[in-house]
Amino acid sequence: MDFLPLISIEFLVVFPLIIAALLLVVRNDTGRAVVVIGGSLAIIAGCVWIAVNYLTGSSWYGAFHNELFAYVVLLVDAAIGIYIIIKSIQHKRILPLILIVLQFVIIVIYEFVIQPDVVIEYDLYIDTLSVIMALIIGVIGCGICIYSLGYMKDFQEHENAKDPEAKDRRPVFFSLMFLFLSAMFGIVFSNNLSWLMTAWELTTVCSFALIGYTRTAEAIDNSFRQIVMNLLGGLAFAIALVLLGLQGVLEFDKLIEMGSAGLCVLPIALIAFAGMTKAAQVPFQSWLLGAMVAPTPTSALLHSSTMVKAGVFIFIKLAPALGWNSNGIMVMLVGALTFLFCAALAISQSNAKRVLAYSTVSNLGLIVACAGVGTPEAVWAAVFLLVFHAAAKSLLFLCIGVAEHHVGSRDIEEMDNLFVRMPALARLMALGILVMFIAPFGMLVSKWATIVSLVDTSNITLLVILAFGSALTFMFWAKWLGKLLSVAQEERSLEDKIHRSEWTALVLMALISVGLSIGFPFISEYVVVPYFMQVWVDSISGSFAAISFDNLLIMGIIVLAMIVAFAAFFGRSKKRKVPIYLSGVGLDFEKRTFRNSLSGVTEATQRNWHMDNWFGEKKVTPLANTMCIIVLLLGIGLSALSLVGWSL
Amino acid sequence: MTLLSFAVAAVAFIVLAPVIGCFIAGLDRIISARLQGRVGPPLLQPYYDVRKLLAKDDAAVNDFQGFYVAMSLAFAILAGVLFFAGGNFLLVVFVLTLSTLFFIVAAYSSRSPFAEIGAEREIVQVMSYEPMVILLTVTFFMATAALSGVGSFDTAAVLALDRPLIVALPFIFIGLVFILTIKLRKSPFDLSFSHHAHQELVKGITTEMSGRTLAIVEIMHWYETVLFLGWVGLFFVWGSWLSWLIALLVIIVIYLLEIFIDNNFARVKWQFMLKASWLVTLVCVVVNVAILEILF
Repeated sequence: MDFLPLISIEFLVVFPLIIAALLLVVRNDTGRAVVVIGGSLAIIAGCVWIAVNYLTGSSWYGAFHNELFAYVVLLVDAAIGIYIIIKSIQHKRILPLILIVLQFVIIVIYEFVIQPDVVIEYDLYIDTLSVIMALIIGVIGCGICIYSLGYMKDFQEHENAKDPEAKDRRPVFFSLMFLFLSAMFGIVFSNNLSWLMTAWELTTVCSFALIGYTRTAEAIDNSFRQIVMNLLGGLAFAIALVLLGLQGVLEFDKLIEMGSAGLCVLPIALIAFAGMTKAAQVPFQSWLLGAMVAPTPTSALLHSSTMVKAGVFIFIKLAPALGWNSNGIMVMLVGALTFLFCAALAISQSNAKRVLAYSTVSNLGLIVACAGVGTPEAVWAAVFLLVFHAAAKSLLFLCIGVAEHHVGSRDIEEMDNLFVRMPALARLMALGILVMFIAPFGMLVSKWATIVSLVDTSNITLLVILAFGSALTFMFWAKWLGKLLSVAQEERSLEDKIHRSEWTALVLMALISVGLSIGFPFISEYVVVPYFMQVWVDSISGSFAAISFDNLLIMGIIVLAMIVAFAAFFGRSKKRKVPIYLSGVGLDFEKRTFRNSLSGVTEATQRNWHMDNWFGEKKVTPLANTMCIIVLLLGIGLSALSLVGWSL
Repeated sequence: MTLLSFAVAAVAFIVLAPVIGCFIAGLDRIISARLQGRVGPPLLQPYYDVRKLLAKDDAAVNDFQGFYVAMSLAFAILAGVLFFAGGNFLLVVFVLTLSTLFFIVAAYSSRSPFAEIGAEREIVQVMSYEPMVILLTVTFFMATAALSGVGSFDTAAVLALDRPLIVALPFIFIGLVFILTIKLRKSPFDLSFSHHAHQELVKGITTEMSGRTLAIVEIMHWYETVLFLGWVGLFFVWGSWLSWLIALLVIIVIYLLEIFIDNNFARVKWQFMLKASWLVTLVCVVVNVAILEILF
């Protein structure tokens, strides 16, 4: 029965490509909507089909030896290289040019000198983790694509309002989105490391093109910042491939079996480095911040289901080889410091998208740190952090996108009117925020699991970092939530102009976030724990869940109780309304103006705290970068020493 | 934590905690008054206050604030029940944080500039004490592991010990007492709102709360006081009946100390609060973990 899994992987990788090609051709709105919605539904169906068959425990490894396909992979490699070379020359950037040429040389050596000698047993695989990833990519990724239909329509109208001659490049945009999905499926199902690398570089190029979509000077600068950092990672990956090829290990499962021992130490360090560039860990966080210039669906896609998720996926895969060795310590320190510093940086921001970006990097740091710890419990936490982050973050980005188009601002300070002006949207956004940081929702429960796993490994350094980082996290989410839920006393709704496609995606993400929070104990018990039974066959038996089923159940029940309470009582008070106190006779409660003691008009203004002197980018970023660079250099340096037989 | 112990703790906490909390609040006011050379109100004054608040005209600035405050109370009670039922300490902390968040949101929802200042300060207060609280639960686990061989996050684990936690966690206890001043809303850390009229911002977070809503806030304060004093007692309870007496004595001493601090220090700026509590947390945790590693 090796036929079916192969077909389903092929479907998930190839079908989005067909959609992507189709979208380049279809140029009218209706046609595009049909293709995007139809394609998305088919992809989601494919993911669900795979999930039904492979989610609970039984994994599959298979060969796919095909002469032709090997050339296709090579062709894709070449195309990526040539595209970047052309773009670099076009925009006169020397650094990416050097990096891509270097990488190209290494890949050519690898392809023609090293790889032919290595026999690859299994090219492809399906296991629980790759199915979970596929569900995230498929369901959330496609949700974002559907959302983009409405969003990009408004976006194009705004562009045309600025410049009537503005070219409609939406076909390219949608095509790239689906190409991205295809590349992501390639990453999660490839056991053959060189295929993985190709898909990896493809995601780099896709996000490069998506970030530079608007073609403004800023967008182009930021897209090159992204590509330089990720090409650095790609270069590290390529070197790792060569080193591994020399030892005849070119399959992911075999690499993990070898573990951080002997000659695999340096390649693992290099792959981890590549993962850090992709997951935007400090000191590479700036590319993800820069990516904010792109249209919001791009951000949603990069943050929730693609790109950075490929980075942390690699860490979760590598986890069994990490732990208390030089690589593991490097990974957990970089992750933990990223978690701490980026939570601090998020406090200093008032642009909603930048807050989200820092929070993404911070949360990814936590996932990376968990993977670095490498025990089943820690990785259990990492998997759930990844799942909940994907759902809640996409919800938040999509909400911001809508708010931005209708209120004209993405500044959190101006969100204190949202609750009455866009009631449904504000509630969804608030839900997204709650899921991100507070019990009883998924992210916090996963963080709880992280704490438990760290206690079990007596990792007091990480525990201290986690405790302080969590306090910072509370700060930036709570003040945003507060602003969002403040009730101006005048009501007028702006919601009628939101597209149906946008609502669909928003409601989908909200349902996923809440549904997963309620279903947490069951997902743990029947999906994730069985997976660990496979991966950590030899380790201690017993429960792999950091939190007992009972406690998870309590959390799920609290979520349900909250839903019931909100449904029954929220906003249904029968109390008499009175105006707030404003140091004088109130005039306009929306603007908060009042008649002062000299009969003049005073406006009461109140902004959130951003604590720039404490947590501003000028203060924190250099410190964070320096610390993480030192850790990286030490870690990779120590691993390099293993080549000459020295080990920690 | 069995269903039975949960049910018993639930009934006991829901009924007894506000009574005890109310008496503590009354004693607090009398002792504070004596420290200031006044006679002070009758012991049951906090009860009379709440009764009067409940009888007031039912008005509010919006349709949502009352709901948020009610949710805040509900989760504060749940946290207390879980704690006294011997449940998971981390769970208690998280549920309590949820309660605090609802309280903060209740203030924000009014959109009053004064309430917003209070709410923001409350957030900074949470940020100040949260690391200590999380590390308290973590070191609780480490200490139970050191003292009994089996680490646990369940508060009931102390009953199986043959020595109290304080033996293993002296510095964590100091850290807890330090942040307790913030949690009990005592000067010098009563930044978000205060029971003293001389502070520069008196009502802050509760500015726009009145009538029944404010009564709920007061009752929540009683519940919280009992819960936090339970945390203090946790350090002194072990598998002996005598330990309960000792714990009670320590709780009285600590609360008197809090009253003393409350009446002798002027409110500090948030910068000092944040720096001081983080520094105290860091030092206490590092020193205490070193002690755990070396002596146990």
